[in-house]
Amino acid sequence: MEEGEAAKVDILKNTLYDTVIQHGSNTRLFTQSDLLDLDIIPHRNLQLLLQVIQALTNDKLLVGVTGGQGGLAWKYRSREDAKKYTSLPDETTMLVYQAIDEAGNDGIWKRTIENRVNISDAVMKVCIKILEQRGYIASMRSVEQPNRKMYIRADLRPSHRATGGPWFTDGQLDGSFIETLEGVVFEFIKGRGAYHQAPGAGSGGATRIPKRGVVTAAPTVTAGTKRSAKEITSDDVTPAATPGRPVAVASPASAAAAKSARKPEMFLPMPAGYKGYPTIHDITEFIHQLGITSNTTLGENDIRQLVEVLIFDGLIEPIKVGKRRGFRALRPTKQSTIPYNIRAKEMQNGIGLHLPHTGVLPPTNGLTEAPCGRCPVFDLCEEGGTVSPSTCVYFMEWLGLEEKKKEGDGVAEVKVEAGSDGKGSAPP
Amino acid sequence: MNVTKTVAELCALIIDEMYGELPSRIFSMLLTRGRSTILDLEQSMEMTRSKIRHGLAVLQQYNLLYWHLDPGAQHAFYEANVENAYYLIRAGKILEMVETSYGPPAKDVMQNLLLSGQTRIGDLVVAYQERIEQDNKQKAASPDEESYKSNLLVKSTGQLNSVICRLVEAELIDLVTADTFESPDDILKKVEKEVNDKHFYGGVRGTKAKIEYQEKLAERLREVRSEPKSLKRKLEQNGSSAKRRKLLGGGMTNGLVEDEMDPALDPQQVIRVNYEKCTVDLRNRRLVQYASDLFGDTTSYVYAQLLRHLTKDISRCRLDPLVDHYGEKEDGVPAQKFVTTAEILDSLKTAIDLSVGLGKTTRKMLSKKAATAIHPRPPMMKSLIQEAEVQGDASSDEEDDAETTDDEDYDGDYKPPPLKGVNGNHGTNGVNGVNGSARADDKDQEIVWDRPNQLRQHLLILAESNQHLVRHCGIDEWTVDFELVMASMRVSELDTVIEQTTGPKGLRLARILRARGKLDEKALPTIAMMQKAELQRKLLEMQSAGFVHVQEVPREPKADVKKSFFLWYSDLDKTRDRVLDTSYRTMMHCIQVLEALRHKDRDVLSTTRRSDVKGKEEEMLRQEYFQRYKRFLQSEKMLFSQIMRVDDLVAILRDF
Repeated sequence: MEEGEAAKVDILKNTLYDTVIQHGSNTRLFTQSDLLDLDIIPHRNLQLLLQVIQALTNDKLLVGVTGGQGGLAWKYRSREDAKKYTSLPDETTMLVYQAIDEAGNDGIWKRTIENRVNISDAVMKVCIKILEQRGYIASMRSVEQPNRKMYIRADLRPSHRATGGPWFTDGQLDGSFIETLEGVVFEFIKGRGAYHQAPGAGSGGATRIPKRGVVTAAPTVTAGTKRSAKEITSDDVTPAATPGRPVAVASPASAAAAKSARKPEMFLPMPAGYKGYPTIHDITEFIHQLGITSNTTLGENDIRQLVEVLIFDGLIEPIKVGKRRGFRALRPTKQSTIPYNIRAKEMQNGIGLHLPHTGVLPPTNGLTEAPCGRCPVFDLCEEGGTVSPSTCVYFMEWLGLEEKKKEGDGVAEVKVEAGSDGKGSAPP
Repeated sequence: MNVTKTVAELCALIIDEMYGELPSRIFSMLLTRGRSTILDLEQSMEMTRSKIRHGLAVLQQYNLLYWHLDPGAQHAFYEANVENAYYLIRAGKILEMVETSYGPPAKDVMQNLLLSGQTRIGDLVVAYQERIEQDNKQKAASPDEESYKSNLLVKSTGQLNSVICRLVEAELIDLVTADTFESPDDILKKVEKEVNDKHFYGGVRGTKAKIEYQEKLAERLREVRSEPKSLKRKLEQNGSSAKRRKLLGGGMTNGLVEDEMDPALDPQQVIRVNYEKCTVDLRNRRLVQYASDLFGDTTSYVYAQLLRHLTKDISRCRLDPLVDHYGEKEDGVPAQKFVTTAEILDSLKTAIDLSVGLGKTTRKMLSKKAATAIHPRPPMMKSLIQEAEVQGDASSDEEDDAETTDDEDYDGDYKPPPLKGVNGNHGTNGVNGVNGSARADDKDQEIVWDRPNQLRQHLLILAESNQHLVRHCGIDEWTVDFELVMASMRVSELDTVIEQTTGPKGLRLARILRARGKLDEKALPTIAMMQKAELQRKLLEMQSAGFVHVQEVPREPKADVKKSFFLWYSDLDKTRDRVLDTSYRTMMHCIQVLEALRHKDRDVLSTTRRSDVKGKEEEMLRQEYFQRYKRFLQSEKMLFSQIMRVDDLVAILRDF
């Protein structure tokens, strides 16, 4: 009877396991009724089901978990995985392995395992040793907590969360990769979101197409006698006739300059309602086709992250035309027309190192140009204090009076002499 | 204006620089002690009354003082006028603005007004007359009368009269009235009393009465405020110069005609510079620079014309909540000023080529609906904060363009309202080459616009901008929400300071915090794509610079530091105040450095002040001396221009 019962359970056990495998992946949860509905346990005998499940659990083929609705449920484990469990020498090691297994590709912190299994550090060490020897687990590092010793199943690769996604290489933020990609993306947005005016396009005829994706320049129509606003402002304006003309553009030299080179090569803003501003989708596709990210694929979310950084840097701005959310470079007319790859080469050769990697030179204003705006001891500076404006070396340097200060004694001598001399020679 | 210690010190320094030590000391005493009578001043300054009187007279002459005399009282109360004291810095900028907008003679008159403070028109005329006579004598004495070049900018009293009229019409000059020297508080008190006595003798009761009271108050305050403009109104009744010019057949200038047309001004009237209106004009210039920076020169030129039309009747940059909140309303909404495309087109110089500075594209690539969307109401301030956010949901006022489809043609044959004079026949020739034939078959052809449409394109670019430069408030009607555009400009100026102080990474963090609100340090590295260590260093650097702030939120009642959250945030107002204070101090330092330089070169400077040396420094001074003198002058110039440049920033952050 006993033996017959055991054999029956054994058969049922294998049948049940094989059927369960057919019904889904190893993450699917099977409730008690699910298992009964498989129609393997005769007469829906609960007692029997219990025995069979117990047997499967002992073999580590089934894992009991708390089901979705709060009841008990099971999921299966593949035979190879189960074998790993059963081959382990003791229960503790098994529990440790289970904790690591459950953590999946996020990995788990050593301390967390110790707390969960409730074992001492020494026991833990033994368990880890056994598991590592057998090649079941591997240690890993997460970018979120780089100081923590973490473990992961040896056959899994750490998740994006642990590695930091495509922006990380060996757990470090890959600055140069990001910077390069930022440059490429910015260049793309700049080219697509503004009109590239080829030099001297005024006379018509074929124009140079700068690069793909840029709206091409076709013959300009009005080449007649009209002049740009820049030239106008340098004209002599009759008083009171044109109040409020722009100051920003007034420069006497511009008229002559503009005559020789009528249309300088530059980027121009697009007319309102332009539908060609690149969207996240366009940018992702472009990067994809460019193939510069050979070993990582960048999703739209990754690109969005990058584009947002460009926005926060004040290089580009979002622009919404209808439903389309595109991006364009800020200050198009100020942007350099030298393509990014040529710029990068120039930088390598030491040309134009003072210029920023992407975009234009950051604007300055009166405050940041004065010595005070950048002064390290600004807060201490006060007339009569240790540091005071009247003794300020930065100001002397800024005014170009530095040398004079050094030879102060010499000057003082001359003063005395010159003072008397000046008086003597003064009357005509 | 917030009178902090720095501001007080700065103003005292400026007055010292311009008008000497005595007025400066009285001014700072008035600032420290508040309203004082001459007796109080005598006591606190330990000076003779005549000296103090002298100082007070100087201050009053330059409008740096308020005084109030209660009826029947013996002594008046004096109060410092900090605004005007600060505006002294801006004198150079105002002169430059007047010169470019109204010509050198106007600048000459303005300069004299700034130099001598408030002046009776008669005195001004006499002073000019003397100079003109002197010039005539020289001219007669010179060997060749024909080739004699007068260096006088104002050549006759008639011209002077007309120049003053122009400036009065532009509100840059206004009249000194009885209330000019009353401080705003005194005026308010006076008006309140008046209104109470006249309309609400039994006191104000009930909500309705309160509103009525406020309205009466505002109305009366407006009256008081517009009193100095009475001269302008009088001139306008005669027909403004612009109208007259039009009647005369559009001649640009004809000095003779204008001189005769302008009514002679009452020589007894006292005029002064109206800083409030000057600030409005300076703001226009700054806005044009901003637009030029963003979209290029041609677009900014169009913008300048728009602003000129729009601000003609705007007397001040910031509205007074007490005065301007009530009145001038239609159905509860303040009446909106706008400019039409035709008006701008009429004022554009014909030599300007509007096709410059516009990108070219095909019809297919443009969405007319999105471009010409009309926003009759100003957007909420909220949108500025969301500006940097990419995924922000469409705000409700944008929903209506959701159905925009791509097949909306950009019709070249948009018909502007009939324009007088300009391109009278443009509907029949020229433009049609594009409109008629090309439209139907190819959408891939580049669009060619005629002039009115080119202008519209520039305006639409401005309207589309995220910086709220222009709002398309009706078909062919344009307006500017100054508050919004100034807010964006203020942010951009602060960003400049942040970027220059803490580098591009610092700016990135500040902008993230501004867009996302308060953030835990752990959330930042992913958004900023920066390494943790670098990020922490940067945040600390920025905190000490006053650009970001940290808030500690304990997780449990015990407030354990280890378990607390630390939330970083960036507060624009705090940053602004900090930058303002730094600016004031920078200006102060510039003046102090100048003072130190003067002290160092005092021997040279005292020599140059001698009457026989003055004007002939190069010949009279020894080479070495002259070099030093030149270097000092150069430094002085640099320092003053630096002060002006810092003031540019202050103006944006505080006044515009």
